[in-house]
Amino acid sequence: MEKRPLEHASTPWRSLDELEDTPEFRRFLEREFPAEDPEKPPKVARRRFLQLMGASVALAGASGCRWEEDRLLPFAERPEGWIPGKPRHYATTMELSGVGQGLLVTSYDGRPIKVEGNPKHPFSRGATDVFAQAAILDLYDPERSRFPERIEGGRRVRAGWKEFHEFYWPMRSALRGNGGEGLAVLCRPSSSPARAALRETFRRALPRAIFAEYEPLNRDAVFAGAKEAFGRPLEFHFDLSKADTILCLDCDLLRAEPGSLGYARDFADRRAPEGGRPNRLYVVESTMSLTGAAADHRLALRSEQIGPFLMALEGLVSGKSGAEAGIRGFLAEGKAKRFVEALARELGTAKGRGLVAVGSRQPSWVHALAHRLNGRLGNHGSTVHFRVPEVETDQTASLGALVSAMASGAVKTCFVLDGNPVYDAPADMDFGAAYAKVETRVHLAYSLDETSLASTWHLPMAHFLESWGDARAADGTWCLQQPLIKPLFESRSVLETLAYLPEGRWPDAKKLVRDAFDRGPGASGADWRLSLRDGVVKGSRAGLGVPKLSPKTGGANAAPSAWESRARGVELVFDADPKVHDGRFANNGWLQELPDFISKLTWDNAAFLAPRTAERMGVSQGDVLRIGAGGRSLEIAAYILPGQAEDSIFLPLGYGRKEAGVVGGSEARGIPSPGFDTYALRTSAAMGFAEGAEVVKTGATHVLACTQDHFAIDEIGREGRAEKVHDLVRGGTLEEYRKDPEFARHQSHVPPLESLWEEHEYEGRRWGMTIDLGRCTGCNACVVGCQAENNIPIVGKEQVLEGREMQWLRIDRYFKGDPEDPEVVQQPMTCQQCELAPCEQVCPVAATTHSEEGLNDMVYNRCVGTRYCANNCPFKVRRFNYFNFNKKLDYDPDYRIARLGKNPEVTIRHRGVMEKCTFCVQRIHAARIPAKNEGRPIRDGEVVTACQQACPTGAIVFGDLADEGSRVAASFSSDRSYQTLAELNIKPRIAYLARIRNPNPELG
Amino acid sequence: MSSEITTTAEFLSDDPVKRAPLVDPRLDYHSVTETVSAIAERPKPPKAWYAAFAVALSLTLMLFALIGYLIVEGVGVWGNNNPAFWGFPIVNFVFWVGIGHAGTLISAILFLFRQKWRTSINRFAEAMTIFAVVCAGLFPGIHVGRIWFAYWLFPVPNQMEMWPNFRSPLLWDVFAVGTYATVSLLFWYFGMIPDLATLRDRARSRLSKILYGVFSLGWTGSAREWHRYERSYLILAALATPLVLSVHSVVSFDFAVAQLPGWHTTIFPPYFVAGAIFSGFAMVQTLMVPARRFFGLEKIVTMRHIENMNKVILATGSMVGYAYGIEFFIAWYSGNPNESFVFLNRAFGPYAWAYWIMVSCNVIFPQLFWFKKIRRNLLITMVIVMLVNVGMWFERFVIVVTSLSRDFVPASWGYFKPTAVDLLMLLGSFGLFFTLFLLFLRFLPIVAMAEVKGVMPHDHGPKEKGAPESAGGER
Repeated sequence: MEKRPLEHASTPWRSLDELEDTPEFRRFLEREFPAEDPEKPPKVARRRFLQLMGASVALAGASGCRWEEDRLLPFAERPEGWIPGKPRHYATTMELSGVGQGLLVTSYDGRPIKVEGNPKHPFSRGATDVFAQAAILDLYDPERSRFPERIEGGRRVRAGWKEFHEFYWPMRSALRGNGGEGLAVLCRPSSSPARAALRETFRRALPRAIFAEYEPLNRDAVFAGAKEAFGRPLEFHFDLSKADTILCLDCDLLRAEPGSLGYARDFADRRAPEGGRPNRLYVVESTMSLTGAAADHRLALRSEQIGPFLMALEGLVSGKSGAEAGIRGFLAEGKAKRFVEALARELGTAKGRGLVAVGSRQPSWVHALAHRLNGRLGNHGSTVHFRVPEVETDQTASLGALVSAMASGAVKTCFVLDGNPVYDAPADMDFGAAYAKVETRVHLAYSLDETSLASTWHLPMAHFLESWGDARAADGTWCLQQPLIKPLFESRSVLETLAYLPEGRWPDAKKLVRDAFDRGPGASGADWRLSLRDGVVKGSRAGLGVPKLSPKTGGANAAPSAWESRARGVELVFDADPKVHDGRFANNGWLQELPDFISKLTWDNAAFLAPRTAERMGVSQGDVLRIGAGGRSLEIAAYILPGQAEDSIFLPLGYGRKEAGVVGGSEARGIPSPGFDTYALRTSAAMGFAEGAEVVKTGATHVLACTQDHFAIDEIGREGRAEKVHDLVRGGTLEEYRKDPEFARHQSHVPPLESLWEEHEYEGRRWGMTIDLGRCTGCNACVVGCQAENNIPIVGKEQVLEGREMQWLRIDRYFKGDPEDPEVVQQPMTCQQCELAPCEQVCPVAATTHSEEGLNDMVYNRCVGTRYCANNCPFKVRRFNYFNFNKKLDYDPDYRIARLGKNPEVTIRHRGVMEKCTFCVQRIHAARIPAKNEGRPIRDGEVVTACQQACPTGAIVFGDLADEGSRVAASFSSDRSYQTLAELNIKPRIAYLARIRNPNPELG
Repeated sequence: MSSEITTTAEFLSDDPVKRAPLVDPRLDYHSVTETVSAIAERPKPPKAWYAAFAVALSLTLMLFALIGYLIVEGVGVWGNNNPAFWGFPIVNFVFWVGIGHAGTLISAILFLFRQKWRTSINRFAEAMTIFAVVCAGLFPGIHVGRIWFAYWLFPVPNQMEMWPNFRSPLLWDVFAVGTYATVSLLFWYFGMIPDLATLRDRARSRLSKILYGVFSLGWTGSAREWHRYERSYLILAALATPLVLSVHSVVSFDFAVAQLPGWHTTIFPPYFVAGAIFSGFAMVQTLMVPARRFFGLEKIVTMRHIENMNKVILATGSMVGYAYGIEFFIAWYSGNPNESFVFLNRAFGPYAWAYWIMVSCNVIFPQLFWFKKIRRNLLITMVIVMLVNVGMWFERFVIVVTSLSRDFVPASWGYFKPTAVDLLMLLGSFGLFFTLFLLFLRFLPIVAMAEVKGVMPHDHGPKEKGAPESAGGER
């Protein structure tokens, strides 16, 4: 072999082959480093080349296609303390009907995704209601108004703030000149101190302007009652922790009163039979309320009979007897008589430890009577605390004055700042007609509604999570509202607009709030930053001493017919709907699809009537009735509700919106609106209830979507249900409990059970939960909280009718006993995380398996959707995505904004996949990481599930069962705890605590 | 004896002294071949075939269009809801699997029991089995929420190292039905080879020569081949026999292994097998009675066959009736309130109508078969077997839907209502079944000629035309 001469002795070589320059090496060299490009493009003719080039240039010029230009601005230096993807929590406040609810909002990278209660709030103590829980959905509602618009003959014309300002500026100068002549402002009432200050500024600047405040669910009668009793309108709140005997008269004390969140907690704390003396709750009401369902004794009376009942009670308490006390008519017989007598005896002995609460739909004289009775019983200052009211106390009159001014043509310019009076003003005022006479009508609203369409300008309003503000809590505590996010669109708050009107300049809203604070609690030493952090100003609870009852407190003005046990005609009762409130939440899908706590009705309201009334009228479920009262009429579907008073029809307000949106309906866009507009029958003279209505069947029927069947059921089903419910939802009386504290566990006998499989050994944590049925009121806050936390979609009325609702947590409601006077039992039902889960065994692809900590995990991306797991689940708590219920998020560009509200820690499930409660596994993991970093176990109470957090009564306890010191372990092994369907040997990780009722032995 | 016989009825006398011939003794080997082969060899099928095929094919196309719709939209197009997570698709699946039982039973079990009368009907029944299993196999496949991942039910090696859950009865189902379909297909095809060879030998067109030639696998009919063939047939029969019992037992495990009251019952395996045979025979009868008339097979499929099958229907129908009764007894005897509720609810609850349709169709009407006159009346037979088909579909409906719609927690009770898609897909599955069946009638030997010849009295029968002695060989 010929050797290649080396060019230089020092030339380095890499291998012997190279050194020797073998043919193999040359071939290798050739392959590796070819002299010529082997993939050289084929030769192209010059002309062809030019053709191609020419075409490319032409096409490049012609096309508009290019990459979307976008800028990325990463943090070159990250703001201090800011970790991307790590949630932060801010305290703020949501004001609803003049009551500030303390919130703690979770924010991911600057966008709020979950609302929870503020545990530092002294009154609500971390609780929330359904409206606060559902607020996130509103924030990212694609139908929010995005810019100011002119409304020209019902047509929307896009404008801007600049245009509006140019429109308003000359007008403002004229108004400043004439003192506000011809200007009117209508707001929703608010307890905000900053707002109160602005209102004063406004009055000073424009003294001749009309300033009205109104909302349909006002408490005019409450304040009027206080005025009759004390000579001036007073606000008050209750202290249920001191109340042994509570009487609610047409009053939904645990849900609908300003202080309900706190009341529910105090009430529940006094229910546990383990500690001391449980309280006793009496409820007298016309329709079944949440409070009525929780009552130890409940009497269904028409609303008009409540006054006579209270008169008789007062008579008996003050020592009168029989007819002298007013025991006649319906009170002279049967249950009502026994009820009032027993109650009088008990209240009489519970001096200073009793409470009589009257609902806002009762007339003022009943309120006055209740004040007098509370005063006589020494409850003032003990269970009842007074203060000066912050909100407008006669809103109906305030609105009435505005309407007559408008109708007379005295108003040239009207600003409606939030509120929807065209829809919800009393029917007799005919707000719409009067409003139409005003030349310039400006409406600041969150989204387009009935009033917007009747206006000439529609201005977008900011969400409360986007704006500064403040409010008073139910006990008068000063709450601060800080924005979580800059307004997503060009929108303004009511506070800003009120400041703008006289000035013509947009204010710094933060400064308005700060100024109010500095004048108020700031002046007495409260720290702004600390208060802002906590969301409440410490020690700012306002209060008065015990006011003196005026000697002559209001007369008794019940109509004589009220004493008759059967009404002439039918009584109509108006009150808030527990889901859409006064109608303002009608476009919120979570609330629309929320099953009503008692009727389990979704996507509708209905006329609730008693079974006996329905039978007499020949009405069955879903029949459309025509209800006539005072020359007005309404067609509405009937719902037969056990426990409704006879001859009384409850009409929930807030449905049948004409212009609300895709969810709440829109007449203009041809979207059917859920429910029926019951405002059509509500007049300013009878805001609470009206007598003498006529009811006829129209012959039509309306399909009502209930998530649970109503009480009408075949005989076999009824018997089977009774037997099963007895076993599932356990409870007893205090007497039974004292005889055998473990009676609930002893109620059913389970044979010795053996497992088919080798059971898991749990060495580490064992997550578990207890639900105290004695505390649970069925308020639904947990259901919405779960929906918000876990990205649960809504499915719409049609799918609810098909039985495909998706809420992971449901509240099972059963009636017991006489349909006219039933006992209501409720049971929150969700995945029981069975240790020997029947679902896991049957899944052919092992998509649902057990974690080491005992969670029954659902692996969405493994699930193929055989649905066998759900069949084998005895609780039927698994939910299946029959369709892609998130389709809009995927495909509708308008809904891109709605994606922002989704919890980034939870997968959005695709169609064909099973899902269910996970015990908020993402929250467990969120707690696990810091614990691991700090090298310690997760502390008890560190993981709080969404349902537990939302619960106003603290009925849900979650934690590690393996930790003997944990709250849940104690509760799990308490006397009252039992597990459902234990005989199936599924070993649920949820234990229920039996509900102990505390009936008056006299009433049995 | 045969010379005196003039009518079909006469030779079917049940005189125990004489062994009655299994097919009309006037037939000889040649006429059997002619009668059966002629059906497949006609250049054009009769107009009625075209009409029936057009209907069946349109229904099949509709079925596949609906499946497309289902895949695009999601399983919500069916009426399945929250308590009743399973509905029509599973009902249809169990129904068709049940139908698919008769074929293998007739072929395998009756073969092992030397029930020679089976030869005239076994091909028919086996074909029906295959097609029914095709229909059955369709439903679980499209029933899952994410059809594109349905293959995860098979133990396919994958990068996740994820195996199916071997505890799940649905997985057992996959294996049981898969095995059954494979073995039934093999058995059917295997039994058809000699007959395909006959068709090949007689084929005139080139295409049919090639196709029959390929599928007859070079059959020559030599004694050696017959020897091997019959041995293997016996082995296949022995393999298929346990499957007849296992498939529906395993299908019943889908229910019996679950803890749902109304499903969780140990009686299910035998009860399902009896029901399957019952429905399978009814379906064979449904197809056979018109087909024998239509294709002039009365001499091969005689009244005796019809009557025998009616007897099987009577027997299995009574077993099913017994199972219905014993379920009630056990529900009461067990003292389990959930159990007793479910059965009372079936009979008197919201689905009582379905329950009583089931009972009357499956238990009451077949009792008429105690009467010989009715067993031999084709019209009444047809009515009763149709009712049995309906009844057996409802049996599965009652089991699946009533148990699910009302279980442990009353708050989650619901009522299942089928949608139009549900109903049309059920109809479409019949379309698919009949499409396949009509193709079978058109192109394949619908009676097992070789086997029929084997049971003909060839030794001392009349030999009017001098039939070839050696063709079929003796069994």
